[in-house]
Amino acid sequence: MIGSVCVTQSPVSPSFLLHFRTAEPLEYHRSFLKENCRPDGRELSEFRTTTLNIGSISTADGSALVKVGNTTVICGIKAELANPTVEAPGKGYIVPNVDLPPLCSSRFRPGPPGEQAQAASQFIADVIESSEVIQTEDLCIERGKLCWVLYCDMMCLDYDGNVLDACVVALLAALKNTQLPEVTVNTETCTPGVTLEKRHGLRINKHPVATSFCIFDDSILIVDPTAEEESLATAQLTVVTDEEDRLYSLHKPGGTSLSGQKLQECISRATARQREIQKLINKVIHSVKTAQ
Amino acid sequence: MKDTPLANCERDFLLKAIEEKKRLDGRQTYDYRKIKITFGTDYGCCFVDLGRTRVMAQVSCELVAPKENRPNEGIMFFNIELSPMASPAFEQGRQSELSVKLNRQLERCLRNSKCIDTESLCVVSGEKVWQIRVDVHMLNHDGNLMDAASIAAITALCHFRRPDVAIQGDEVTVFSPEERDPIPLSIYHMPISVSFSFFQQGTYLLVDPCEREERVMDGLLMIAMNKHREICSIQSSGGIMLLKDQVMRCSKIASVKVSEITELIGKALENDKKARKAGGRCGFAESIPQERITALKMEESPVEMMDVTERANDIVQKAEAPPQTVPSPVVPVPGVGQVGQGLQNTWGLEDDDEEEEEEEENGNRGEEQEGKASKMEKYEKEESRGGDVVEISDSEEEEVVILHPETSDKAPVNTGSRSSSHQKGAAKSKKK
Amino acid sequence: MEVCGSSNVSLREFGCEQSLLSRPDGSASFIQGDTSVLAGVYGPAEVKVSKEIYDRATLEVLIQPKVGLPSVRERSQEQCVRETCEASLLLSLHPRSSLTLILQVLHDDGSLLSCALNAACMALMDAGLPMSCLFCGVTCAIDTDGQIITDPTAAQEKESRALMTFAIDSTERRVLMSSTKGSFTVHELQQCIAVSQKASEKIFQFYRDSVRRRYSKTLE
Repeated sequence: MIGSVCVTQSPVSPSFLLHFRTAEPLEYHRSFLKENCRPDGRELSEFRTTTLNIGSISTADGSALVKVGNTTVICGIKAELANPTVEAPGKGYIVPNVDLPPLCSSRFRPGPPGEQAQAASQFIADVIESSEVIQTEDLCIERGKLCWVLYCDMMCLDYDGNVLDACVVALLAALKNTQLPEVTVNTETCTPGVTLEKRHGLRINKHPVATSFCIFDDSILIVDPTAEEESLATAQLTVVTDEEDRLYSLHKPGGTSLSGQKLQECISRATARQREIQKLINKVIHSVKTAQ
Repeated sequence: MKDTPLANCERDFLLKAIEEKKRLDGRQTYDYRKIKITFGTDYGCCFVDLGRTRVMAQVSCELVAPKENRPNEGIMFFNIELSPMASPAFEQGRQSELSVKLNRQLERCLRNSKCIDTESLCVVSGEKVWQIRVDVHMLNHDGNLMDAASIAAITALCHFRRPDVAIQGDEVTVFSPEERDPIPLSIYHMPISVSFSFFQQGTYLLVDPCEREERVMDGLLMIAMNKHREICSIQSSGGIMLLKDQVMRCSKIASVKVSEITELIGKALENDKKARKAGGRCGFAESIPQERITALKMEESPVEMMDVTERANDIVQKAEAPPQTVPSPVVPVPGVGQVGQGLQNTWGLEDDDEEEEEEEENGNRGEEQEGKASKMEKYEKEESRGGDVVEISDSEEEEVVILHPETSDKAPVNTGSRSSSHQKGAAKSKKK
Repeated sequence: MEVCGSSNVSLREFGCEQSLLSRPDGSASFIQGDTSVLAGVYGPAEVKVSKEIYDRATLEVLIQPKVGLPSVRERSQEQCVRETCEASLLLSLHPRSSLTLILQVLHDDGSLLSCALNAACMALMDAGLPMSCLFCGVTCAIDTDGQIITDPTAAQEKESRALMTFAIDSTERRVLMSSTKGSFTVHELQQCIAVSQKASEKIFQFYRDSVRRRYSKTLE
């Protein structure tokens, strides 16, 4: 749509740029990367604007909406009461799910989740498990009898690359926003009583933040790729780190090989990003508290 | 991927050879190919090679609630996987006609023949029983998958050991193999399927057809029988009419084959038992044929650890330290925050749109009741405005030029968003 | 955290057999200790129109678990193996065609993903597909004392604090693929990478030996 408008308005050079972009997307990007910048005006190690809104869904127990550039991810957390598993009677559990519906990009088809959505769900599940962002023991109400299950549904509303980073931020902010009602177990009847008025937040131990990178032409490392950059890149990788500089994931599904030195560069950038996001989340949470 | 088609001349050649009582691999009419039975490392894992056809069966168990109409019987579950590894024609995750047929036949052969004592699998009547699951994976398809699958499945069932359980009150304890020796299943008899293929409307008969022969056959007769010569299941497919004599002859051949195969299974199980008792290594790793040049083995070997720590330290130290200061996020409204460059690009507000925005805000104020919905709507509107921004910049001479107006606009924009934020905040607090 | 030359840092017994299946164009089974994976490759062959890529071959990777149907975990591993193979295969030499790699888990006793990668590489070699480099998988575990264990067994994996699997390429010994679980420091990560690079030498030597053995009769 944008394209057609541009062509009719000023048919000379923008149309050339547009056609150049359509015909030779790789060359188009290369010509920018040569000058150490990217088509959207960012530097190589620069993130897009990250916007965070918490409490976006009033019916959920916790929710957050995150925009990274145009990529939009909404996360809603639904807490339900359930029986603990036989293997872990003293623990609750967290069930994350990433949905990439056809509405967010034309590349996704309706029907059962595709490979990317499944891989993203698995990635989020791994991050939750590795980082122990929430002690699952905290979710236990009565050992072997009753516990909380947190269904964390992340839905992408607009796909413009780097959905993993957005998902992790949305998840973390939504978890921090979650308020669980108080539950008391009646000892005589063994039935749980829920006091919806009395609510308490979750104890968040860690602040894992993901930072994604793309590798262009086997050598150039760029951060926070857009959908177009992702499709042209020769490799992608995601680093998850927390405030104590512990790493929770170095997820590189394949693609161009990287040396240890290059990986170290990525980790340094990820550390800076973690600080930035943690500050953002804390400030937003704080702003809500003071407004109340 | 499609299967490679069979050429007409190949088909004619095969049929002609069969007429002359000759088979491609030099076998006689009633000969089976060489059967090799090997076991995996854990209990209930069995590999069967029938010529070049290769099948793996794995038995597993799980405590589940029993079926309502049979509260004190365990559950048997069979699953034949036609893995695309076996043949390019097999597709993953799709129930083909062949897989349904094979699954059905295996169930009839092993479940309906009552060869396994399902009542011994009951733990607490009506509450907990063992579900025995048999997964059969086809690894290489060179004909007669059914016979290979049935041999693999029954051998794996014989080999399998389930964990021991103890019941105290209503608590069920499952013991690990270290605590208590696992228990074998109780098997009454061993039904084994034997396949016969018919050619030229039943004139010619072959035992154990290979893949090529299966492709030119007219009909197939599968007889499942145990060593006591009891027929457990019999199925004819392909739509050929068989005479009573032919079926009788087949069942006689089957009884011979079944007793041979049963003996082989018994020997294989015995061997494995001895090997396990002797404490030697058993399983797949040991089954690699050492004499073949396509195979190689390497003993356990240490990894050189010299200068590993130094190298790691080197890399970590040489790397640039991350910056200590990070940009401070902007919080335009309670509950919303932004960080990063070019704040106005996505959710931000353009100067030109400011008035419109104000109006909309007022409108929103009037319709406070709409609450979140209107808020979301507004986001969307701003979103589309964000699109407008891109449009404008795209029509500029150079893509890079765009940055300048944006950076210069930064300050007013922020104040703009703040002013509107007040209203938003007000709307929000009222809502609360 | 200090790594010393302990007995933990070793690779278990290795075994490999190539061309063991008649139907696939290339097949291999790879064994690390008790862990073993069977791989089969079909292609280059006709591709479905919906999956056709105009300038290169389409690679599909399927991982079949031993019990039950493939789950989300297998999907994520499939993605890792596929993208690793895509990086080393010269796919542009076979445009508009399909390659299918099927990995069947035969036994899981730890380091499954690295065993799958090794089996995949051997099968691709057996199929004679053009590759720019070889790759191998190495799994490292860090136990609760901070010791690094290479090629861990299932029991060692369970007790470990962090688990990392890397795919290393044969030309520059760089990291093709990385998949981690658990928490670890930057130092530990770099040490594990360094250890994996060392261990990869052994595996590549094994590749070389088995290929040499395989073609020993043809060459003479």
